[in-house]
Amino acid sequence: MADSAQSDFRSAFQRLAQRVHRRHAGRLALTGAGVGLSLGALGALGLWALRWGEWRPMSAGLGALGALVGAALASRQRWSESDIALYLDARLDSHETLTTALAARGGPEPALAHVLERASSVLGSADPKRVKPKLWSRWHALLPGALAVIAVVSVLPLPPAPKPAPHAPGAERVQIENLQGLERIEALDHLRGQNPEQDERLKKLAEQAKKLREALSKGLEKREALSEIAKLRDGIAAERLKLGDRQNRPGLDAALRAFGNNQALHDAQKALGNGDLTAFDDEMQKLANRAESSDRQAAKDALEEAAKEARAKGAKGLADALDAQKRLFERRESHAGALRELAQSMKGQLSPEALEDLKEFGRSGSPEAEKRLADGLERALEGLTPEERKRLAERMQRELEGAAGNASPMTKKQLEELAKQLSRKEGVEQLKKQLQELSQPEPSDDAKREQGLGDAERGGSAAERGLGAMPIPLDGDGAPGAATPGDKAGPGGKADPSGSAGPGSKHDSGTGDHHGSTPEIAAKELRSKADARLSAGAPMHGATLGRAPARPGETANQLGTGTLGDAQKTEVGAVDHADIPEEYREQVGRYFEP
Amino acid sequence: MTDPPAPTFEARLAQARDISVRLKGAIAAVIVGQDAVVEQVLWGLIAGGHVLLEGNPGLGKTLLVRTLSSCLDLRFSRIQFTPDLMPSDVTGTNVLVMDGGGQGSKGRFELHRGPIFGQVVLADEINRATPKTQSALLEAMQEHAVTIAGTRHALDEPFFVLATENPIEMEGTYPLPEAQLDRFLLKVSVPAPSEDELTEILARTTGKPVGEPGRVLTRQDVRELQALCREVAVAEPVLRYAARLVNASAPDAADAPDLVRRAVRYGAGVRGAQSLVLAAKAVALLEGRAHVSFADLQRTAAPVLRHRILLSFEGEADGVSCDQIVGELLASVATRPAAVERAVQGV
Repeated sequence: MADSAQSDFRSAFQRLAQRVHRRHAGRLALTGAGVGLSLGALGALGLWALRWGEWRPMSAGLGALGALVGAALASRQRWSESDIALYLDARLDSHETLTTALAARGGPEPALAHVLERASSVLGSADPKRVKPKLWSRWHALLPGALAVIAVVSVLPLPPAPKPAPHAPGAERVQIENLQGLERIEALDHLRGQNPEQDERLKKLAEQAKKLREALSKGLEKREALSEIAKLRDGIAAERLKLGDRQNRPGLDAALRAFGNNQALHDAQKALGNGDLTAFDDEMQKLANRAESSDRQAAKDALEEAAKEARAKGAKGLADALDAQKRLFERRESHAGALRELAQSMKGQLSPEALEDLKEFGRSGSPEAEKRLADGLERALEGLTPEERKRLAERMQRELEGAAGNASPMTKKQLEELAKQLSRKEGVEQLKKQLQELSQPEPSDDAKREQGLGDAERGGSAAERGLGAMPIPLDGDGAPGAATPGDKAGPGGKADPSGSAGPGSKHDSGTGDHHGSTPEIAAKELRSKADARLSAGAPMHGATLGRAPARPGETANQLGTGTLGDAQKTEVGAVDHADIPEEYREQVGRYFEP
Repeated sequence: MTDPPAPTFEARLAQARDISVRLKGAIAAVIVGQDAVVEQVLWGLIAGGHVLLEGNPGLGKTLLVRTLSSCLDLRFSRIQFTPDLMPSDVTGTNVLVMDGGGQGSKGRFELHRGPIFGQVVLADEINRATPKTQSALLEAMQEHAVTIAGTRHALDEPFFVLATENPIEMEGTYPLPEAQLDRFLLKVSVPAPSEDELTEILARTTGKPVGEPGRVLTRQDVRELQALCREVAVAEPVLRYAARLVNASAPDAADAPDLVRRAVRYGAGVRGAQSLVLAAKAVALLEGRAHVSFADLQRTAAPVLRHRILLSFEGEADGVSCDQIVGELLASVATRPAAVERAVQGV
């Protein structure tokens, strides 16, 4: 009897339980789908917010996947029979009759049969509508909500790109493959220093510039790049000869006095007074080229005496430079003599222009005239017939014999060699080559170094400008000799030797229009405030670019370095104690560095 | 002559319900109000357990027991516990009895049975006796037997101890030890009567004396009720709920409520869980059901567990009562799995 009651109850319970289970599983699946779809909607919102527009169509698929996963996970949480019985008991207020009938353990048979009977009765009278679980819950509102979000987000225009956060000044990164100007600093590698230590320092500067170029090609903070360039410029400035500083000033003054004894040395004295070794070297070249031997001798004497005076006053660097200049002067003098001798030998074959150049070369010693003379000689050599070449060789031979040692040993030896070779075609070619070499200017080591350092300094300025910064003027910027070849000087100005001077320039020795005029300045009341007596070759009085009060003798071309020794104690390390942002402190400190 | 056919389970169930209704009616003729107390005493009687009645003096505790014993065809005895009461006063003792008189007569020991040998024993003001005397009840209550002078004597069934104690008079009392308390199936709190009840009491007790109620239940009826109670079925989820409820009363249990962790020193034990289910079966039987529901357990939880929960110092200092603890347990321990509960609530 108990078995039949059990089976009756079981079948009735299963019918109701399946209905409950289906509804419950459906509810769970909907909940899971809602949660999954919501996650998909969140993903779509994320894609929209991140402006990944091309991925947005995937958000619908993401939502569908989330719904499937949610439904699958939910379906795993199905109720057991005991759970369903508990649910039914609660909904039917049957005091756990169904639960007891389903899960009674070890109960006596009469009681169990009674419970089964009661349970069957409860199930028989149960209202299916009352016991079915609710299919919809408030969580299911997520379904249409999430679908709407996905639909809207899929068609909604992407939000505007957020404005990038402003960089701290100078903190933006720069990436430049080839920053113009750095190559001029890298060229310091080939410069010859005064001593091995300076050689090493120049190579180091070149190496640093190379590293900076590599770092810039990979990307670097702008302020860091500017800081590196500023260090390089400081290093370059430190390598330049400073004739006007405290150590060299007395020696320079004494050396200038040695040049003041001869009017022919006036230009050289002025160039040296300006501390412009390149211009001084040019003037020395002209003097060495001159035909007048007294001028050349005066120049050699002045160089010797100036070097001696400078050394006596403790300006060792200046004295060394003057000694080197004297040695170079003698070599240049020998070259010029050789060229002149050759021109004299070929006087009959020279064109009128070449003869004019020979005169000009002897008078002014101008490198331009020297170049033109060498070209004229070369053309004359080309026009010689073999017979004329033979006669020229014989004549040179006779003249050499007649000179009997008056010419310098080098000149005589060279000419003897030339006389032997002129009879052959190859000899002529070799002579032409030598003429080219003779006409090439041969600047002094100091001049070359100063020119190289100046060029590197201007390269540093160009690099700073390339990074968008305003270069800080340093010693050397705008200094004489800064002009590049081909720069034209203004009226009355000075041009680079290899360029052509403008009208009115007293250095103009070209064939152009020499009748320039300077327009009158409409300033009748203009008065000069300065009443200082100008001494030839001495620096002009005036304002300085220095960072210390000007001293007598300083000029706009002379940086007032070496004067910070008079600084107050409170000014020492002032930058470190000043209210300057940390990121600028190093730059500001370097600016005020003595 | 053949035996009459055994009554069906349904008939026995109906009979039990009928008997209980009649018993409650007979008691109600004497006792005014206190329906819940009467109900709970009946749970103890049907479940075969002992009941501790706690209430202020004059609330009718003793009258209730006397009335109940009058309704039952059982031997009633009463022990008035006092501090000088000896265990032998409870259990009885061997007395030397002389055969005949004069010289040469032989004497023999004869058992003089104590009041414990009754079937409905009223242990009045049980906490006034010393623990030594209180413990004389232990064997009788647990094993329904007493040992006197090395001889074990079984007590007549059914055996039912109803003890009373006064919670406000603490002078000269000896609180029952936990082992003793645990022997009581239920601890029933007797509340003060309401105004209507008190009015009725006054009307009844200040006039013509009311006679004692007649016998309603025979000894056989009581045994039948107790046997039927044991047959009531309990589903596993219901048993698990009882187990969770009792386990949660221990402060170191994982699912113990905060109040239990804070205010309870020791929780109920295995005997508590057994008592909970037995009392719930009695409730189900009195309601004419052959199975126990969650509600039955919840109804019996307070009288079954309140004397089995030992408060901690902090709990006593905070004035937490054991009934509060039981209330917290019922509120925190879920009857059904959470998912089922949510579905029932329609959330």
